[in-house]
Amino acid sequence: MTVPVARRNLLSEKGRFAISVGGVAFAVLLILIVVALYRGWSQVGEVFEKLPGEIWVTQTGTSDPFHSTSLLTSGDIGLAASAEGVEVAVPVLSRQMNIPIGDGEESVRFMALALPGGLQLSPEIAAAYAPAPGDMVIEETLSRKTGLEEGDRLVVRGVDLRVSDVRPQGGDVLSQFVFVHYSDAERIFGVGDIVNYAMLIVSPGSSVDEVAAAVSEGNDGVRVYTSTAFAEAVRKELDEVFLPVISILVIIGFVVGAAVVGLTTYTATIERAREFGVMKAVGASGGFLYRIVLTQSAILTAAGFIVGLAAAILLARLAEQMVPEFVTDFRALDMAGVLAAAGLMSVLASLAPIRRINGIDPAMVFRA
Amino acid sequence: MVERETVITAQGLTKSFGSGSGQVKAVDGISLTVSSGELLLIMGPSGSGKTTLLTILGGLLHPDSGSVHIEDVDITRLPDRKLTELRRRKVGFIFQSFNLWESLTVSENVELSLNIAGVPGRRATDKAHAVLTELGLGARLGFAITGLSGGEKQRVSIARAVVNDPPLVLADEPTANLDSAHGYEVMMLLRNVARSGDRAVVVVSHDQRIREVADRVIWLEDGRIKDIGGLFRDPVCEMSVEAARAVSLEWDGKTYHFCANGCRRDFEANPEQFINRRRVGKASTRPAVEGDKE
Repeated sequence: MTVPVARRNLLSEKGRFAISVGGVAFAVLLILIVVALYRGWSQVGEVFEKLPGEIWVTQTGTSDPFHSTSLLTSGDIGLAASAEGVEVAVPVLSRQMNIPIGDGEESVRFMALALPGGLQLSPEIAAAYAPAPGDMVIEETLSRKTGLEEGDRLVVRGVDLRVSDVRPQGGDVLSQFVFVHYSDAERIFGVGDIVNYAMLIVSPGSSVDEVAAAVSEGNDGVRVYTSTAFAEAVRKELDEVFLPVISILVIIGFVVGAAVVGLTTYTATIERAREFGVMKAVGASGGFLYRIVLTQSAILTAAGFIVGLAAAILLARLAEQMVPEFVTDFRALDMAGVLAAAGLMSVLASLAPIRRINGIDPAMVFRA
Repeated sequence: MVERETVITAQGLTKSFGSGSGQVKAVDGISLTVSSGELLLIMGPSGSGKTTLLTILGGLLHPDSGSVHIEDVDITRLPDRKLTELRRRKVGFIFQSFNLWESLTVSENVELSLNIAGVPGRRATDKAHAVLTELGLGARLGFAITGLSGGEKQRVSIARAVVNDPPLVLADEPTANLDSAHGYEVMMLLRNVARSGDRAVVVVSHDQRIREVADRVIWLEDGRIKDIGGLFRDPVCEMSVEAARAVSLEWDGKTYHFCANGCRRDFEANPEQFINRRRVGKASTRPAVEGDKE
């Protein structure tokens, strides 16, 4: 091991080192929180991917389940069910509505699936999406917002409902899913023969795309989505609204981080210009000196990343307690991405100090 | 008699700074050679070109004309990258203000020089410890540089200069920031660096005491080597002065030479103080009278 010049240079000014690590950590925290928030909110469409159906049928003109209404008749359901490759067509009732909780009201999205009796569901799916009559499954976010807990009861439009489970599903900022039994939804909505969607379960061995095309071909009044496309349609709105904002915040975080690392490394280089000059005089190669600068930047960036990551996770947990809609999802790939960005930040931040070192005249060491 | 090899040869060196009427010739046609085991002292007034010459000899500055050979290599023809490599292996530097790396420990300062020369890890540590111990710093290996005395710092600087065993060591005013005891100690070390290390040592200094350990003295003025036959030592400031330019004073039957009227006035006020000073201390045993020619 060679003498750890970079580490010693940085740690010789502990106050500045701490401030610099704090600056980088702040940048990393900003980037991570924004990305994790986006990922958390993006879970909003995952319900449609987790449910057992591979195809969703809506009324023509319906862009997504949250921003446009879909009304289907039993005839539409029958047509869809009769298409080749469809094993089961499940009528789905879904509606945004306010429900009384405590002294106020809360906007939630009710959803109910008319699952046929013979359909085999995993216990996990059944518990999450197919509650028994009189039961309802709510999201954690709604639970934190309203204080509703397992076993609590609510009366919605004359229907007595008991919270049978609290689940982490969802991610919508504005409203949360409440799954109820289909018969309860019919009573709450009072819509008779009308349903909102049909969820199609495809026969084993059939191609989802081919079945979707067959359903669409037989009925001009419907629009057909694969479950992935339906989830994407939900997220599309989120992406259009939030992605530009998120991108700007990420860029700001990146620039702040690069500036902090750059300034610190540059200052450390200028302060030690004479020492770098001595190194040049005694025969240090450019590569040797650049390694010192790059290592300084890398140490700052790595320390800042670790502190920033820990702070981001801690802050997210705290924020989630205080603001239930603050739904975050930290993914390993995102963290790796931020680490890579931090690495790039570190390299960019080294350019100015390296340029400064190149300009140091080793003969300066003889000047008093 | 021991056969000495020529380590450095300079031929017709010139170096000017500025241009037009403001041009200054810092080095003007200097030629010299220094052999292994030899300590050459370069003296002269401020601005005489001493440091510029040292910088050229060390391959840190290109001369306008002339050549410098270190061993058999003409360093004036080398590109910067090759010069850097040559300095790493062939030249050790000692500075007036030590120029140590303050964020590193005593040992690390010397180890880093070895690292730069391509000696890694444990080997570098062991060699650094050995050299530092030899220079009396064995008990200071892990100390911070800021915790050392001036003399100790200069010893670290000497250790750093010699640890890669270069044939040439260049020292710029190595005793200027030291008191007389530490200055003497450094002088002796420099002599040892030259003699027992079989190195060529070139020292630029105003310090008369170094003359006592120097094998040769060159007097530089206006960028040229002057005839050093007419040089005397100012008993007050101890600078070397030319008789032709000096301020002289007859006292107690002897002639004393001073660099300026200020020194003469100080001497006149209390001559015994300066004459007695010459008799005290190992480094100052020569009288400051006319017989004491350079």
